[in-house]
Formats: sequence, structure tokens, C-alpha cells
Amino acid sequence: MTRARVATLFTPRRAQTVARAVLWTMMAGATAILIFILAFVLGRGLPHLSWTFFSAAPGDSGRTGGVMPIIAGTLEVTLLGLAVATPLSLGTSIYLVEYTREGRLTRAIRFGAECLAGVPSIIFGLFGFVLFVLTLGMGWSILAGALTLAFMTLPTLIRTSEEALRAVPASFREVSLSLGASKWQTIRKVVVPAAFPGILTGLTLGLGRAIGETAAVIFTAGSSLPRRIPTSVYEGTRTLSVHFYQLAREGISADNASATAAVLVLAISFINVCAHVAMHRFLRRYR
Amino acid sequence: MSEGAIKLSIRGLGLRYQGPPVLRDVTLAIPRNSITAIIGPAGSGKTSLLRTLNLLSVDVDRARVEGELLLDGADILRPGVDRARLRRRVGMVFAMPQPLPGSIHDNLVFGPRLAGVRGRRELDALVESSLRAAELWDEVKDRLGRSAFSLSGGQQQRLCIARILALGPEVVLLDEPCSGLDPISTLKIEQMMRALCGRFTWVLVTNNTKQAARVSDRTAFLLQGELVEEGPTPLMFTTPKDARTGDYVEGRFG
Repeated sequence: MTRARVATLFTPRRAQTVARAVLWTMMAGATAILIFILAFVLGRGLPHLSWTFFSAAPGDSGRTGGVMPIIAGTLEVTLLGLAVATPLSLGTSIYLVEYTREGRLTRAIRFGAECLAGVPSIIFGLFGFVLFVLTLGMGWSILAGALTLAFMTLPTLIRTSEEALRAVPASFREVSLSLGASKWQTIRKVVVPAAFPGILTGLTLGLGRAIGETAAVIFTAGSSLPRRIPTSVYEGTRTLSVHFYQLAREGISADNASATAAVLVLAISFINVCAHVAMHRFLRRYR
Repeated sequence: MSEGAIKLSIRGLGLRYQGPPVLRDVTLAIPRNSITAIIGPAGSGKTSLLRTLNLLSVDVDRARVEGELLLDGADILRPGVDRARLRRRVGMVFAMPQPLPGSIHDNLVFGPRLAGVRGRRELDALVESSLRAAELWDEVKDRLGRSAFSLSGGQQQRLCIARILALGPEVVLLDEPCSGLDPISTLKIEQMMRALCGRFTWVLVTNNTKQAARVSDRTAFLLQGELVEEGPTPLMFTTPKDARTGDYVEGRFG
């Protein structure tokens, strides 16, 4: 086909129609994949879910009983990890955005963070095992797992909050300064609140990743089955995804493995919904 | 002019960013309780000059400055000047209306709260008096809790002026405050400036020479970083001493 033929075939109008159709198909495909995965996991898991499964302790290596202490252990590891990582990442990104000028140092830090974000989680697991479990003598514990998760999510959290802070218009900072605010007051009262939705999105993604993490915690929080809710950060625990892995891998109970997977998916959805609601509440109050 | 009549005295001010000087040896006296307009073509250094009067150019744009800038006789270019205090005395209104996220009320109390005003009644009184001064009170008094972004552009700009007035400034700097506004909003702002002229010293940077002619008492003409001429506005527009001033105000260049 000559170029002229192509040009008459693809008038701007037709090209637009085609582009729209192609984009729609991609969107529909991606959505279908997501729905398929959700339906697959929930379809297999939901029939085996019961109140007892939520509220009881596991018995017989997970063949019987439920996952209550495991849910608690998972929450403890993840929330503790995030509690360590959030202030660190927020402080780092604020410093990078507000107190340094774009230069070799910030580029090096950002590059390092990106490399770290790409490191497989099992490497973080191994690192945590050597540093926290062995060298620092924490043993397989919630604390070791949480710190490992914190290290693992740190680069992503720094990146997302950095982007969120950078997206705050420079004019907000100038206006605040011109109204007699100090730099720190400007950051605290104007910049961080304006970046809050973006920061929260990053935290939610980090939390999702941490909750679903298997490799990094199996080495550090251990995989022993808790019989009751862990009450000390020095106790080991098994997280939901590790539990799922053990049940499925060792062929202990396919039913309970599916139910665990469903709990995991529901938990992550629940957290995302909560974050979403919190964000909208905040935006309504703030805008 | 006698010394006491001068609010701001700019003496031999030079300014540069990374490259060549943007302002060279600018000397200008700005009288108290009057409106001084700074005019000049794009790139003449008007905004740099204005942003130096509250040190925003130094702190945000990393400008290097030399010379003296006397506010009531005290040099604000010497090191260690309290920025917060200076900016409460010398307020600034930007070219585009810049409300902060939050309600109308939030915007107005932002500065006073930082300055240590805590009492609810005191803050409410400040909100009302500054909105009245900016001639916005009647339009917004029933929706102070609404988002500042819900206002029209002209109202937003008057809100920004009210926000400065709530700090009780002595000098108000306006950087082309009407460049994004319609003629009626512009008129309202000009009327307000005239009405408040007795209380504040206004410095107005404008690209609109007609606006300078309408509202200002004195006009200064900047060209390529140098002050060509300054004087009472009527004289500047009728019998300028420098030919370049005449050419500019009559629209023959720039």
C-alpha cells in the first residue's frame, strides 16, 4: 500500500475510532484478568470459609481449626514493619524534595532506591535472616520479620512519597512562605497535607505488598504455627501467605489452603477500601 | 521627600541568579501610604525587584543581591533578618490567584495563626475586617467554610489580598495581580487599592501601563535591569524626561 492509500484509509477520524476501540479492548482485557483471578481464588476459598475458620486456632498442622492467630501474627508483622518504614520513608522523601537541590547526590539516592526496589524479596529474606535472626540474635520473630519487611518496602515508599511531594505546586510553598511561615511550618501545614493522598496511596501499596509477602518473612518470622495470638515481638509467627504456602506445598489441606487464600485476598481488599475511604474523607475536608 | 515620608528605600540594588545581572544599581524611594507602580517590558527585572522586597527572591530563587534595602530605615538585606516577621510586614499577592487548599476561613487564618493569634473571637474578627477591607465580605460571608477554590478568579484574588491584610502588613507587594482577571474584577481591585491607600504602602508591578496610570501615585520604569526613570505618575505619562519612557508608555515598544 502506498503512503497515500494509507493516509486515506486512516483519516484522523477513523484513526480515533480505531484507537478508542483498541484501548477499550486492552482495558477490558486487563479487567477480565483481574476479575478472573479474584473469582478463581474466592470461588475456591469461600465455600470453605466459616466463622470457626476465622476465630479458631489451627490444629493438626492446619488440617483442622482456623487461622485466627495467624491473622493476628500477619497483622503484627506487617503493621510493625510499616510503622518502622513509614516515618523513615517520609523523612527521607521530605529531605530529598525540600532540602536538597536536584544533583548528583539525590540522583544517586534515587537510583539506589530503584535498584533496591527491584531486588527479589527472597534476597531481603536472606539478608534479614543473617542480620536480624542470627547476628542480632532475634531468632525467628515478629520483630525480625517486621524489620525485614520495612527494609523491603522502604524504597517503594520513598519513591511514592517523593513523587507525591514533588507534585505539590511550588506556588503553595511560596504562598505559605510569603504569609510568614517558616520552611518547616510550610512543610508541616501545607506541603505534607497536600501530598497526603499520594503518600497514602503509596502506603497502601506497600502494605498490600508486605501482607502478601512470603519469601522475606518465612526466613525471618519463621513458619512455626502459633497456637494463640502472639503477644511479644520476640515470638515467631507464621503469616497468612506462609501458611497458605505450607498447606498447599506440603499437601496438608487443599481446602484450608484455598480458604486461607480467600482470607488473604479479602484482607487486602478490605485494607484498600479503608484507605480509599480515608482518602476521600480527607479530601472532602481539605479541599 | 523627607526621610520620614519614605517607607522603603532601595539603594544601589544589584541582583543576579546564576548568570548575568538581572538588576543593576537600582535606587528608588517608595513613599509611605501611597501606590508605587513598577512598569517595564518583559524581562526588565520588575518581578525580581518586587520579590526582593520580601526576600522571596533570595530564599526561593536563590538570587544573590547587593546594595541596601531600607524598610523604615533598617536594612533588610543584612544577614539574620527574621523572615517571618519581615513577611508579615511586607505582604505579597501573586500574579495568579493562589488560594491554599482549604476553606475561605482556613486561608484567612493561616497567617495570623502562625503569628500566634489563637483566640477564636480574635480570628473571626480578623477574618471579617480583612474581608471587608478587600470588599469580599458581602459575597462570601455565608460560605466561609466552603473551599477557597469554589470562588471565581476575581474573588480568589481578593481573598489573597484579604489574606495578606489579615496579617496587618505595612507594605503590600502586588505582582501583576490582575493579569488573569476580567475588567470588572480588575476595577474592584483597583478601587480597593485606592480606598486602602491611606493604610498601606502598595508596590504594584504591572504589564498594563494604563493600570499604572489609573491607580498609582508614582511610577518607576525599569528597562533591562536598570531604572530608567521614576517620578509622579502624571508626569511620567505626560512629560517623561527620558525618551525611552515616553516610547514605552505610549506603546511604541515592549
